[in-house]
Amino acid sequence: MALKERPKPFLLPEYCKGCGRCLDACAKDCITLSDQINPLTGLVPVELDLANCNACGLCMDACPEPYGLRPAHEGEIQDFELEDPAKLFGVKPSDAPEPIDLPSEVLPLPRTEPLVIKGTYASALGALLAGCRHVYGYPITPSTEGAELMAKFLPKLDGTFIQAVSEVATVNMMYGTAGAGLPTMTFTSSPGFSLMLEGVSYMIGAELPGVFVDVMRGGPGLGNIAPEQSDIKLACHGLGHGNTHAITLAPATPQEMLDLTMLAFELSFKYRNPVILLGDGYLGQMTGKVQLPETMIKPGIPKWAVYGDAMHRRNVITSIFLTETDLEAHNVHLNAKYEAMKVEARSESFLCDDAEVILIACNTPARTAKGAVQDLRNQGVKAGLFRPITLWPFPVEELKKAIHGAQRIVVVEASAGQLEDEVRLALSKAGVRQFPEIESVRRMGGILPQQSEIMTRVLGQKEVLA
Amino acid sequence: MSKASVFYDKFERHSHGEGLKGHATHYCPGCGHGLAHKYLAEAIDELGIQDRTVAISPVGCSVFLYYYFDVGNSQAAHGRAPVVALGHKFANPESVVISYQGDGDLASIGLAETIATAQLGAPITVIFINNAIYGMTGGQMAPTTLMGQSSSTSPAGRNEYNGQPMKMAEIIAGLDGPVYVERVALFDAKQRIKAKKAIQKAIKLQVEGRGYSFIEVLAECPTHLKMDPEATAKWVKECMEPVYPLGVKKDITVEPWFKRNPPCFKGEKLLSLAGATSEHSDRFCKGFPTHLDAQDISLKLAGSGGDGAQTAAMLIARAAISEGFDATHIPSYGPESRGGTSYADVHVAKDEVLNPGSPDPQVLIAFNTPSLVKFGPTVRKGGFVIYDSSVVTEAPVLDPSIKVFPVPFTGIATDLGKAVVKNIVALGALQAATGIFPKDTLLTAIRVALKDKCALIPLNEEAFAWGIKSVEALDK
Ligand SMILES: Cc1ncc(C[n+]2csc(CCOP(=O)(O)OP(=O)(O)O)c2C)c(N)n1
Ligand code: SF4
Ligand code: SF4
Ligand code: SF4
Repeated sequence: MALKERPKPFLLPEYCKGCGRCLDACAKDCITLSDQINPLTGLVPVELDLANCNACGLCMDACPEPYGLRPAHEGEIQDFELEDPAKLFGVKPSDAPEPIDLPSEVLPLPRTEPLVIKGTYASALGALLAGCRHVYGYPITPSTEGAELMAKFLPKLDGTFIQAVSEVATVNMMYGTAGAGLPTMTFTSSPGFSLMLEGVSYMIGAELPGVFVDVMRGGPGLGNIAPEQSDIKLACHGLGHGNTHAITLAPATPQEMLDLTMLAFELSFKYRNPVILLGDGYLGQMTGKVQLPETMIKPGIPKWAVYGDAMHRRNVITSIFLTETDLEAHNVHLNAKYEAMKVEARSESFLCDDAEVILIACNTPARTAKGAVQDLRNQGVKAGLFRPITLWPFPVEELKKAIHGAQRIVVVEASAGQLEDEVRLALSKAGVRQFPEIESVRRMGGILPQQSEIMTRVLGQKEVLA
Repeated sequence: MSKASVFYDKFERHSHGEGLKGHATHYCPGCGHGLAHKYLAEAIDELGIQDRTVAISPVGCSVFLYYYFDVGNSQAAHGRAPVVALGHKFANPESVVISYQGDGDLASIGLAETIATAQLGAPITVIFINNAIYGMTGGQMAPTTLMGQSSSTSPAGRNEYNGQPMKMAEIIAGLDGPVYVERVALFDAKQRIKAKKAIQKAIKLQVEGRGYSFIEVLAECPTHLKMDPEATAKWVKECMEPVYPLGVKKDITVEPWFKRNPPCFKGEKLLSLAGATSEHSDRFCKGFPTHLDAQDISLKLAGSGGDGAQTAAMLIARAAISEGFDATHIPSYGPESRGGTSYADVHVAKDEVLNPGSPDPQVLIAFNTPSLVKFGPTVRKGGFVIYDSSVVTEAPVLDPSIKVFPVPFTGIATDLGKAVVKNIVALGALQAATGIFPKDTLLTAIRVALKDKCALIPLNEEAFAWGIKSVEALDK
């Protein structure tokens, strides 16, 4: 552009904050501070006298307001008629296209013999079959093998595994990839999950999908690396600050580690919300029979994503709602979503129909309890097992059916009563006032409830360690 | 300069006062953020990447960055913008991702993310606004606050007890990951031109896939430096610049390297990685070994790390599953996992393993004395104990109903020339002592496990046969 073609500056006083950066920039002293306060803004704008102006443009470069000093193109003055901005600028501030969904594909998978693999590996395979190719993580026992498998497989699938600098970084990498609309997950264990909660709250606020496989271990604090059901409360009621909930799945077998991980991805995209898979240290390490499914997923790109292309340019991922009414409306919307998630409640009832004693347990303790139910039945005791598969939403309708007619309820858990609290809360919220006194078999610190302890509690022979 | 088209026509930040303020930023008069925004918008425009750009808004005064830029926008938690940027970049390697952050955000709460991301070196662009103070929360001390500078949390001026100012450009330039690091300023026309160029260059390097770049911008916060805009610009020049010298801190030429294939979704590939096969292995069992238990057999294998108890346990589980039963294996390593006691709980069930733990097993295989002493008494009445008589010289007294099989696992394995096959000797002994499965069931599991090390198969077969023989010898 030749010098003489350069436009001289144009100023609309309403956009000038009077900072004076332009004053300094002009070697020709064309710009001065006005002595009048602009009644519309309460600020003192500058005044332009362009007699000496050589259109060098330095003043426009110095102005921090994008629309403060502008080149005076022809007709542009009309742009600034302020009566009806909607008419002037149109409803949409962006000319980007309206985003659309690029749907995911379901691809057939040849039938294979069952694998014999451990729980964390099964979960990792489930994630890969669900279309996840972006995994971030920070090592923590007993979840680490999941990350190790991903580090081995993903490069061969042109995917990404990044070992983050911390769990805080992990969850935020997930936030980015989820914001781009792609499936992402991590493996962690209790202290790591605690650290991720800041990001989980942001993901829920920004309505982003993501799968957290938390292989729970003993706490509080560093505790130990042995299995405990220490994060039930955290997952069901403590996902960071604010009004947060996420579907929480509790597998009990390596097969379920795979199946429920796949389900977790599906649900997290369906509801645009994180999903938590709570395993326990035992289940992470346990090897068992795992049948692969007959289909796998190739993910698409949802219309809300910020993928970094023209189609999705219009979108914003954020959890800020600055005005109180906006934030309240957002929370009302989230609550409606949580309410809609209630249809995802899942459970298993084993010999509950005629049971007089109902055991309630999830994860590995549920298997021990199932063994106990079988033995109790062999001894003529009418026992049954109710196993919540979703801990949030709690399958309270099924629980009501299971405990109907029961004379005793025994909650079996590897925690100080976190599952029992869920049971009580669910019954209370469902308006169930009449139910047998809840008894418990609880172990902690990495010791799981033993079948013999459950038998002893049910048969009433001696006190069980609480 | 004409306004960049990347800026929205109006800023929705002010939707409530749209007519009046629709074109004004929410920044204070004279704030450096406005200029930095403008240069960033111009760079995106001039590089023609509006449709590929994802801008990450931080927490701080520029939290509303997304109200200004008509590009893909993502808003991050305080300090986490660079890793959110990485998440976007890896999701779509074609996208151009820009992390825009203040000094509290980048140099304090997000320092770990900042350094780790820079060192990772993936091509993203970080624009770092250093105004020596926390803006949004009301003028508290930042990691970049100058010595003696007062702020609401260093009212008497920053002193030794608050640490020294953090020189981020130098720190980042000292890392191997970044390709380009420059510190620029906004206080005069010359610096502004440099600032604009630096931002553009940093983004261009990303477009070319060359690597991570970092532009530190010395910026004015007239509000919290408590000066008028002109005096603030002067303060930045006179007080900040000496502490934070301007200029290029690092600029290396690297070939474009960030090229990534789209992820693979081929089922066969995934199955082969997982080791899944459609081949049906032969079955040798006529039925569930009900002579041991009608439904569910519980075993425990215990030894020191290196005895191979876990491998043997896994082989039993695999053998059972290939026969169509259910099985589980739970390893347990004490804190001495690197060399101490390690034991495995194994279950074999007709239909479904109900309880996978083995606190009172029907079968114990013990590889050393402590294991035998610890778990021997837990074995059920009528159960089986098989132990390594090469290392256990004196067996504890067990319930008389328990059948005990002392077999020299180590001795046999050593005679065969490889001590590590003692666990296979143990499996042979298990077969002979309990008849849990036909020989071929276990041999097949062993052969499948060794399919990539075929040369070892004969040795293992021999070890297995010796295990059987020594139990049979005991029987006589
Ligand atoms: C986890 C967390 N801690 C603290 C805050 C509060 N906070 C918001 S902005 C800010 C300071 C931002 O300062 P800086 O990054 O320097 O940006 P500036 O406002 O100066 O542009 C702080 C501490 C927060 N939002 N999140
Ligand atoms: S264009 Fe140059 S000469 Fe004209 S007012 Fe602006 S700074 Fe002064
Ligand atoms: S630089 Fe812009 S905002 Fe500042 S006084 Fe000049 S015209 Fe007004
Ligand atoms: S407080 Fe400081 S950094 Fe924030 S907008 Fe005002 S001048 Fe800018």
